[in-house]
Amino acid sequence: MTDSDILIEVKGLKKYFPIKGGFVFDRQIGQVKAVDGVSFKIFRGETLGLVGESGSGKTTVGRTLLRLEEPTEGEILVEGEDFRTMRGEKLRLMRQRLQMIFQDPYSSLNPRMKVEALIAEPLELQSKYNRAAIRERVFELMDLVSLPRQFRDRYPHEFSGGQRQRIGIARSLALSPDLIVCDESIASLDVSIQAQIINLLEDLQSRLGLTFLFIAHDLRMVHHISSRIAVMYLGKIMELAPKRKIQHTPMHPYTKALISAIPVPDPQIDQESGQIVLAGDIPSPTNPPKGCVFCTRCPQAIDICIEKQPEYIEIEPEHFIACHLAVSS
Amino acid sequence: MGNLLEIRDLKVSFATNTGKVNAVNGVSYSVKEGEIVGIVGESGSGKSVHALSIMQLITRSCGQIDSGSVKFRDIDLLALTPMKMRAIRGREIAMIFQDPISSLNPVYTIGFQMREVLECHLGITRAEAHDRSEQLLIQVGISDARQRLDSYPHELSGGMRQRVMIAIAMACDPSLLIADEPTTALDVTIQAQIVQLIKRLQREHNLTVIWISHDLGVIAGLAHTVNVMYAGMVVERGPVNDIYKSPCHPYTKGLLESVPRLDHKSETRLNSIPGSPPDMTRLPNECPFAPRCGHADDRCNTKMPIVETTYSQDHTVMCWNWRDVVNGDSHSDR
Repeated sequence: MTDSDILIEVKGLKKYFPIKGGFVFDRQIGQVKAVDGVSFKIFRGETLGLVGESGSGKTTVGRTLLRLEEPTEGEILVEGEDFRTMRGEKLRLMRQRLQMIFQDPYSSLNPRMKVEALIAEPLELQSKYNRAAIRERVFELMDLVSLPRQFRDRYPHEFSGGQRQRIGIARSLALSPDLIVCDESIASLDVSIQAQIINLLEDLQSRLGLTFLFIAHDLRMVHHISSRIAVMYLGKIMELAPKRKIQHTPMHPYTKALISAIPVPDPQIDQESGQIVLAGDIPSPTNPPKGCVFCTRCPQAIDICIEKQPEYIEIEPEHFIACHLAVSS
Repeated sequence: MGNLLEIRDLKVSFATNTGKVNAVNGVSYSVKEGEIVGIVGESGSGKSVHALSIMQLITRSCGQIDSGSVKFRDIDLLALTPMKMRAIRGREIAMIFQDPISSLNPVYTIGFQMREVLECHLGITRAEAHDRSEQLLIQVGISDARQRLDSYPHELSGGMRQRVMIAIAMACDPSLLIADEPTTALDVTIQAQIVQLIKRLQREHNLTVIWISHDLGVIAGLAHTVNVMYAGMVVERGPVNDIYKSPCHPYTKGLLESVPRLDHKSETRLNSIPGSPPDMTRLPNECPFAPRCGHADDRCNTKMPIVETTYSQDHTVMCWNWRDVVNGDSHSDR
């Protein structure tokens, strides 16, 4: 890939949330380092998968990327332009190109709006459409996500979870965006419905040339849909590589443990032999370990891991890693 | 080995504003002593409700058990008085739930909640109960057990809370443990810890386990026998290898194909099951899976399938066309 294919580049992104407390309530007594120095590129037309456990900061990356949260530090470049400093009309136009599909299709749709109004809402905010054109576009979008047109007068509660997620997808597609951030978009759906939505997203990508940032905790689904995968842990990217490398030659101990913890639906595979079961829990992001953030649970940790943070480096072309062991070996 | 638990034609319904919801529509199966039975199904398939009915935890809300019998050893659980059921619940049959934060009482310490169970069922003194609680916490792999007894649930992480729940369930050394989606709320690395723990406890105590989950992967590594539930019925049941190697019900087959696997090529499309789960307010006379099934014919749309034995004796299925489902499988393999 060449530099002109880069849709978004993120450099050293940080997002700290203040913890307020003390005798008077507005005093800051600490901060949660939700995202702590994350850098990656998203190429046009690809799907970048972002996996991590709860509390790893993957959702915050997605939200700061779209400036739903203002980053504490770092750069976000959209086609080389600085997105962070954009204001006014320029920002408004840029926002149309970057959309999001949320996790919970129950709380992300206004229960008092009908399907047609829900899908038309983004279009109405854009003055270039008249009424007839809006209705035409709503139908087009409903066809695109396989929602029957006669459902346009129904309310969200009349739909199942999978259909609601289709409404959410239609809304995000309304303004023909370049990038869609899918934040755990299938996590609340049943297994058989998850596959429907994944297939729909893949179809839409090939038809409309969309770029996805696919955020999820389920490495199986991320692996299925993505071309490259970033593995996050406690606010940092541990490893980022094309999915083949993540699957066959993972280098970071956390990636290895994550892969081995995934249960395989095959009783004849002995899942316990060679399985790496990590001890303990993810540490608190208010007080992360001084050295490598993973050192408290890492089965291979050595002295330097506890002392010094590993640098995030490109160890092979397109394969980034933050681990002392990978560099020394 | 004898049957520890035998469920016959269990039916459970709930009265709601939109009509009667038939959550469980005739579930029958038996559990052998020392066996791990996995129950797989999607939300609304009746898997949790049938488990709650075994524990008799359903009657107090708006739900009711319409018919059927649940036999534990030689006792008919459904005929017991509430007092007698209390003596069995927690003592002989214990249960762990999906969400440990809402299952533990937030205003009492872990130690208090553990002692409560022990004092109630075993009639031992407070000091004895305290020592036993500590041993139980060590057994489930909690470090600094003595100090942890004085912690409140909010001071523990999700994985630790689930360990405490398991310790409480194991407190009276029950013969049957019902685990209702115990790892769904946990991260995969924590899930692996909990699965490992349950396997160890099962071996050490010859525990019988009913493990409910929607994750086919977890069940594959754990269960001996698998029940697949759909629309409040067990649509397929068999030894774990049969279910995964040669599924006979189109729903089971669809579920297995809709889960992506890391060891498979990911360029292929996922085989999703079209449509959505059925409306449970209507009692079907036909196969409830027919509207979503690729093998459905006229008979499927008019007549409820009967439970048939497939090629192996322990493997049963509720499908008129199961032979086509199996053969269709071998065609696509060639």
